[in-house]
Amino acid sequence: MNNALPLVIAIPMITAVISLLGRHRPGMQKGVGLAGSLALLSTSIAILAGVLLEGILSVQIGNWPAPYGITLVADVLSSLLTLVAAVVVLLVSIASWTEIDPDRVAFGYHPLLHILTMGICGSFLTGDVFNLYVWFEVMLISSFVLLGFGGERAQLEGTTKYVTLNLLSSTLFLAGIGVLYGTFGTLNMADLALQLRGPTHAHLAETLATLFLLAFGIKAAVFPLFFWLPASYHTPPVPVSAVFAGLLTKVGIYALVRFFTLIFSGDAAVMHRIILVLAAFTMVVGILGALPQRDFRRIVSFNLISHIGTLLVGLGIFTPLALAGTVFYLMHDIVTKTCLFLFTSIVQRLGGCADIGKLGGLYRSHPFMALLFLLAALSVGGIPPLSGFWGKLILVQAGIAEKEYWLVAAVFGAGFLTLYSMSTLWSEVFWKDRPEAIGDPECECVGRTFLPLSLVTPIGILVFLIVVMGIWPSPFFHLAELAARQLSDPQMYIQKILQGKP
Amino acid sequence: MTVEVELALTVGGLYAAGLYMVLRRSIVKLVIGLALLGHAANLLIFTMGGLVRGQPPLMHPWDTRLWGRFADPVPEALILTAIVIGFGVQAFAIVLIKRIYLDMGTEDLRELQSTDITP
Amino acid sequence: MIVAVVVGFVLGLLAPLVVRVARNGTGWITGLVPIGLFAYFASFLNRIQAGETLFFPYPWLSPLGIGLSFRLDGLSLLFALLITGIGTFVCLYSAGYLAGHPDLGKFYGALFAFMASMLGLVLSDNLVALFVFWELTSVTSYLLIGFDSEREAARRAALQALLVTGAGGLALLAAFVLMQQAAGSFEIAILVERSPDLRTSPLYAAIIFLVLTGAATKSAQFPFHFWLPNAMEAPTPVSTYLHAATMVKGGVYLLARLSPVLGGTDLWRDWLIPLGTVTMLTGAWLSLVQVDLKRILAHTTVGALGACVLLIGMGTQGSLQACMVFLLAHGLYKGSLFLVAGIVDHETGTRNAADLGRLGRAMPLTCIGALLAALSSAGVYPFLGFLGKELLYESTLVGFTPVLLAPCAVAAGIAFAGMGAVVGVRPFFSAQGRFSGQPHDPSPGMWVGPVLLGMVGLLFGLFHGPLHSALITPAVRSCILQAGDIPTPSWHGLDVKLALSALSLLMGGALYWKWSALRGRLCRWRNVGRYGPAAGYDHALCLLEAFARRQTRFFQSGRLNVYLIIVICTAVALLACALVRDNISFSDLVLQRWADVKTYEAVIAAILLTATVVTVRAQSMLVAVVALGVVGYCVAVVYLLFSAPDVAMTQFAIETLSVILLMVVLLRLPRLRTFSTSRQRLRDALVAVSAGLITTLLVLVVTTQARNPKLADFYARNSLVLAKGRNVVNVILVDFRGFDTLGEITVLAVAAIGVYSLVKLGSHRDRIPEGPPFGGEARGDDVSP
Repeated sequence: MNNALPLVIAIPMITAVISLLGRHRPGMQKGVGLAGSLALLSTSIAILAGVLLEGILSVQIGNWPAPYGITLVADVLSSLLTLVAAVVVLLVSIASWTEIDPDRVAFGYHPLLHILTMGICGSFLTGDVFNLYVWFEVMLISSFVLLGFGGERAQLEGTTKYVTLNLLSSTLFLAGIGVLYGTFGTLNMADLALQLRGPTHAHLAETLATLFLLAFGIKAAVFPLFFWLPASYHTPPVPVSAVFAGLLTKVGIYALVRFFTLIFSGDAAVMHRIILVLAAFTMVVGILGALPQRDFRRIVSFNLISHIGTLLVGLGIFTPLALAGTVFYLMHDIVTKTCLFLFTSIVQRLGGCADIGKLGGLYRSHPFMALLFLLAALSVGGIPPLSGFWGKLILVQAGIAEKEYWLVAAVFGAGFLTLYSMSTLWSEVFWKDRPEAIGDPECECVGRTFLPLSLVTPIGILVFLIVVMGIWPSPFFHLAELAARQLSDPQMYIQKILQGKP
Repeated sequence: MTVEVELALTVGGLYAAGLYMVLRRSIVKLVIGLALLGHAANLLIFTMGGLVRGQPPLMHPWDTRLWGRFADPVPEALILTAIVIGFGVQAFAIVLIKRIYLDMGTEDLRELQSTDITP
Repeated sequence: MIVAVVVGFVLGLLAPLVVRVARNGTGWITGLVPIGLFAYFASFLNRIQAGETLFFPYPWLSPLGIGLSFRLDGLSLLFALLITGIGTFVCLYSAGYLAGHPDLGKFYGALFAFMASMLGLVLSDNLVALFVFWELTSVTSYLLIGFDSEREAARRAALQALLVTGAGGLALLAAFVLMQQAAGSFEIAILVERSPDLRTSPLYAAIIFLVLTGAATKSAQFPFHFWLPNAMEAPTPVSTYLHAATMVKGGVYLLARLSPVLGGTDLWRDWLIPLGTVTMLTGAWLSLVQVDLKRILAHTTVGALGACVLLIGMGTQGSLQACMVFLLAHGLYKGSLFLVAGIVDHETGTRNAADLGRLGRAMPLTCIGALLAALSSAGVYPFLGFLGKELLYESTLVGFTPVLLAPCAVAAGIAFAGMGAVVGVRPFFSAQGRFSGQPHDPSPGMWVGPVLLGMVGLLFGLFHGPLHSALITPAVRSCILQAGDIPTPSWHGLDVKLALSALSLLMGGALYWKWSALRGRLCRWRNVGRYGPAAGYDHALCLLEAFARRQTRFFQSGRLNVYLIIVICTAVALLACALVRDNISFSDLVLQRWADVKTYEAVIAAILLTATVVTVRAQSMLVAVVALGVVGYCVAVVYLLFSAPDVAMTQFAIETLSVILLMVVLLRLPRLRTFSTSRQRLRDALVAVSAGLITTLLVLVVTTQARNPKLADFYARNSLVLAKGRNVVNVILVDFRGFDTLGEITVLAVAAIGVYSLVKLGSHRDRIPEGPPFGGEARGDDVSP
């Protein structure tokens, strides 16, 4: 089972290469993409099963022993996230069949998507800090290209900001690696964790933690480092922003969780407090940002930021229950945000634009899509019994258990405003009549009535997942709890990688 | 003054210059700033990896391992990777701003905010 | 039991299909569901009457103590019967009321979902499950209020109801989690046993406050009462069902349910009694100034809900009994009156009470239903309403501060009587009527509801003995820990409460006769509403929007340099704090390895920094690029000097490529433009220099530390032996850490695709014709910080 880990990186890469070779044959690209995504999905299922059966899996690339070579590790958290990522990529690549224009396909859209996947999966699985940087860069460059792909004016504007701020994050990451190596002389996460727990060298722990908090905080779009996200996520073609929204920021969150449970968990009380404060601000500032927006995707983008804050809450509280809450919410958030972003496609097809002021009447004309949207939106709003509720409940429970009442108040305040924001979307896009007088030539708002199955099916599946997670939460909670248990007891991880010898 | 101090100051200067350039409104200066930041980060890792004069981690043909004092090969390997990655990213950024200039006829970032305004 | 709850959700999904198939029979077919459920719940009557409490636990999220545990006791049963009973009539009624409406299927879907959620709410024994259903009722209520979604007023009212009850819901969730924290369980049955723990817990006051907030929003208590009258935007069957008979009683239900857990303390009484009283008076008073039939009814509903809360707050056996009877009576007559109001609206096209009259002859059956309900509302013997009012007065007389409460109750009673008559009597018997059309009795599905509900009110009043033993007594028992014998109310002869009843009836009659005249005078007081909580809601929403806009414009300003400044400043601040926390003192920076800087090193550094400054200050593109190239070469020389020849070679190569690329791509830019003012430059320079300083400091600190050399040693030892390479850096790159190199190559490949796509893809679109680039007047003079 251990040997399956490199497959998770190899499969998207091979898919990308084959797909690049046949980039002028759209049919082949679809087939290859589908096959690759399915292969990735089955591999990640196998890995998750393996982790559940055998415990943490790890493999040393090239068989070089632990701190000297590069390690790939799958614990419950990473394998779970890989699985969810595989699901998202599969669905998004299906949605791309009709939502990406032939020009972009001919220039290699599908290969880029799979390279992005490769970067994401690599980040989830690697146990080496510099390797994580490399996968981040793979992810980053492919996201740059995907974002600017097609070169529309808005895309170029968004890409500029996205590129600049993310390169700043990379610089911070590199600086962090420099300090890390300069201080500890190792790059292996387990080895670092061991050394930071040791008596010596607790020297620069806070500074290091801060460097990584900043670097990953930018990637994860934490307040006050989130500006690149609302500036860019509404500009590329919908499937691109769907996969970004679902996965990219979550990789940042994953990295934060990994670093602040495994490496900087010793006596980092101050850091966890800082994370809590940032989380609270992210939640509130993010959702307040959503209120004045008029563009469908920008509204969802700000919601995305707000929920990044919610995800951090569990990390900040740092009890097993709280971490379980974060993991649960992470699964929910990936699924829901991908779903909402994909919905933009539906809305744009039916309404002709994404300005909620100019949309309307979809409730009457497409009740089934309205129902799907309603479920997704209510889940984001934390209405039970949908996926978003459970994550939030667990976090609130953990927060109250730790007497972090102000934080719980922030969670609730943000939750309330999220509900407000979602009901605005619903009311404007679905309930309201289409405004008759439209004088904007750029937005002719000529809706089509045709919705391709390849778009509706992924959305349907995502909503189905949302409902299943809501109605039948116990298996998901079980997984989240297992992940949290491993995270709160890093000894297992360290021992598995280093196998007793430091 | 030691070498570390000298290079620390250099790195700081590069960072300051890079950040200052990144803060300009001209997209061209922005790209130049990013290039400076790239140098700064690499040099930072290099300095922190420990400085050794004239002892590259190369083996003599008659040795089977490195002996004595030698420069730490790990930061060097990391920097090599980072340089190449940085070049890829920078090439993209350079072409990006060219494209922006061609499409929009401006180099002023202030004019690149039509999608990023709150109504 | 779980089937009984879930069936509504499933049927809700199927409802559009049923409506399409059943056409005219829709009402009768859909009505089968609630009547079936009614029969199911009625079958438990005997066992409940015998004092049993039935539990139906289903596991849900067991590790967190969350289960779908249902409990059927007197209180649940009373509510379940009310929900399914009135639900039956509402189903029948809606088919006629909304006949031919295109969204009838969706309407029934939401209605069934609501019924199921409401049943779940009153049957849940687990607080989280209860909360789940509680929120579901809010959502379905939102959908139903906004049913006429094209009208903005409907959407606004729906949003208002959602926000108010949603906020209350969150308070409630907080309360539930606090309760779990204090007593260790979500199960109400267990919490009842542990109620002493709760009452002595330091969290008790917070719990009470939060529970009360939740209940008050749902049950439209002051100051949250305003959403209920606005919710009258909903179709009348919805107003009947949700906003009179069942959902708004959810808060009352919750308080009753939790009174054995939390109630009976001074704090409980001190909060609930004033809350209920104020709400009762507010509702009664505001009902007087309305003319819209539905809004009149909505305000009296607010008043009645206030009375219920007041009675629960007293918490005595008598008062709880009064509450149950009053609640049942109110459900019956208010449901009936709403249905009548809907019929009148449907037939005449108006709901303005002042314009209605002379309908009695035209619609006799409706008139009968209306009369029965109005009499019950007025508290005329022998209707159930009479009993309810008697018990209410009695409780206020024997309870706390009767001097204050009894007059309040009577005042409310007068309003209920008078305004009930204005809705139930006036349209049928008043002499003048201004409306169009030929009103007549509607289809049987519509009139059967009001008539039957009115009759039930009469029957229950006549035979209240069995009613008590079957429903009321078990319900009271489930709200009280040690219930004694609960006497069936009986005739006590002439006493104070009867006198009060008579008084309220008389005054109510007077109010009815003088209503037209009084209204004009009272309406002047409507302006007071401008300062009420409803206005507060609007203000709060406006403020929120304005604040959100301002803060978003501040943070998401669209200006990249502002973003960067914020990010850099955050980084500098956090890093500075961290360095302080790490106890970095300058004594740490004592330089350990004193090695003289060689002259050539100093020269290189100087060239490097000079070139950097030149790059920054360059006015022409050429100078900047050349200077940047010099910087890059100097960096390469540094690598070379300090034993990194491979890195240096790469750096030379890459730098050359970069410079060529910059030259080729950006050659046509003759000079670099300055857009910023000198103040902005100063600010940016400060920010940048502080960041540079932090980095310098960081490098100094790190380089003083001794590092574990095990990686370097391992590679030094094994590079040739194991990996067959003498150049250790190379070996690391291609072998030990070959995986990194894979990623690195990928990055290059993707960058190539990206460059290619940027050059080719979509670039034919709206390209600016290539004139003299970047030339002309400096456009950046109009800068603002």
